[in-house]
Amino acid sequence: MRRVRLGEPGTAWLFLTPALVLLAGMLLYPIFYTLWVSMSDFDLATFQPTGWVGWRNYEAVLNDPGFLESLRVTAVYLVIALPLQMVLGFAIAFLLNVPWRGRGVLRALFLIPMVVAPVVAGGVWRMLLDPLWGVVNYTLGLVGIGPVEWIGDPVLAMASVIIIDTWRWTPFVVLIASAGIMALPGDVYEAAKSDGAGRWATLRHVTLPLLVPVMAAAFVVRWLGAVKMFDIALAATKGGPGNATNVVNLYIYEKGFRSLEFGSASSMATIVLVVTMLITFVLFRVSRRLENRW
Amino acid sequence: MVRRYAAIAGAILVTLAFLFPVLYMVSISFKLPKDIFTVPPRWLGEFTLDNYVSYFHQARILPRIVNTIIIAVGASAISMIAGSMAGYALSRMRMRGAGVVGGLILASRAVPPIALVVPLFLVARKLGLTDQYITVILAYVTFLVPYVVWLMRAFFRGLPKELEEAAMIDGCSRFGAFFRVIVPTSITGLVSTLIFCIILAWEELLFALILTNDRAVTIPVAIAGIAADTEKGGMWGPLAAVGVLTVLPVVVFALLVQKYLIKGLADGATKG
Repeated sequence: MRRVRLGEPGTAWLFLTPALVLLAGMLLYPIFYTLWVSMSDFDLATFQPTGWVGWRNYEAVLNDPGFLESLRVTAVYLVIALPLQMVLGFAIAFLLNVPWRGRGVLRALFLIPMVVAPVVAGGVWRMLLDPLWGVVNYTLGLVGIGPVEWIGDPVLAMASVIIIDTWRWTPFVVLIASAGIMALPGDVYEAAKSDGAGRWATLRHVTLPLLVPVMAAAFVVRWLGAVKMFDIALAATKGGPGNATNVVNLYIYEKGFRSLEFGSASSMATIVLVVTMLITFVLFRVSRRLENRW
Repeated sequence: MVRRYAAIAGAILVTLAFLFPVLYMVSISFKLPKDIFTVPPRWLGEFTLDNYVSYFHQARILPRIVNTIIIAVGASAISMIAGSMAGYALSRMRMRGAGVVGGLILASRAVPPIALVVPLFLVARKLGLTDQYITVILAYVTFLVPYVVWLMRAFFRGLPKELEEAAMIDGCSRFGAFFRVIVPTSITGLVSTLIFCIILAWEELLFALILTNDRAVTIPVAIAGIAADTEKGGMWGPLAAVGVLTVLPVVVFALLVQKYLIKGLADGATKG
């Protein structure tokens, strides 16, 4: 792999320096700072970490039912929302792929939910889902359902957060899937046709396998966004009712900046960091393997 | 044939369903409370600009929009310069440790912002830098730089090497070749990446919430505040109006450059 000709390692490092300096100062240093705070006693009088306490903060947060609950809530959100968005996204992409004059316009319009700021999305959907004045409940009422307490019921509040997140992010999957579908090689279909493969057989045995790399890539990118989810829950449900939609990012934010428990907030953040990096690493590996296999 | 028309009808319906919340927000933003809180809901009521006028001064929405523009543009500019240079080095040059450095930069894309929030707040507070543009800008660099590196590395890989080799044979340095040859030919990739950066910075909430409290407050923070007030009732109109103003510029932007945007998105996801 190593090539000698375009060596000039000095120049290469010069090109890398600005990014490395920024990331070292704003990313690496804060991570170590978080580790330090997570292992010390935080003195609110001087607003500084003071005594070294080792793993004590970690023991405390691992015995904190609120933290464990927020991890569970986050897991439920991820396990439902991500597959849902993948399936919907690819299904809609197939619908949008039917050639006709308005296809480009529809694809462009699909960009719109994606660029609605998450806080705005949360706020608007709160109105749509309002039990009294919301359009959703009115419509459900027409067919005899309801009134549904969307934000007030623990299970439905989680459903609401997932609906909002899915509304905002499915278009992203649609766009990536569309690009993938358009890039499919035509001759394979000729071959499938001449072999007498039907519509479903072609989809199952030709199209979907060819799309596996795109699916893997879309999933990884969507995962990277979803683990950071914070604003939609804050704007739509504030983590409630109770802790029903209190995703871990929201829980840590409140521990740190409402209760000023910086020590435990930092240990929780460290745990989240480690878990996220590990899962991301595994996903990357799997995704790379899938891309190479097909 | 029937199948095809059914698919087209389905596509149009799905698109409308996805647009509905945005249209609904626009409709609410031009309505008075008496037309908002009705059963059945009304699409059109008495037209009013009240939501855009009366509340805006009180909540200082315009200065907040200006703050958000300054921060989004500043953070995006810094990230674009640093990120595209790094992306170029990683896509073209070979040196010892490149794999490790590249891997680390790309891995930093997976760092959850919540892991940075406590130290950024504490250090900013200690240095007296809370509530200042530069602090928020530097915080945003943490997620924008990895993003730019990721996208631009994929983009530069798609360019033929002959481009800068020709320039360098003509006596250009590597820097000269980059700025005079690579940057101009990569304008589409750079612009779509820049737009992503601006959009991401425009809607960021967590860092802004923690690092600002008055002068540098951004529009998402203001919206989160209004959304919290909405629980008391009656704030739907103003919330929708601020929402429309927040979304409108980005939508216009996105639609203007949609072709590059879609291509950039797809390439960034699959060629990473």
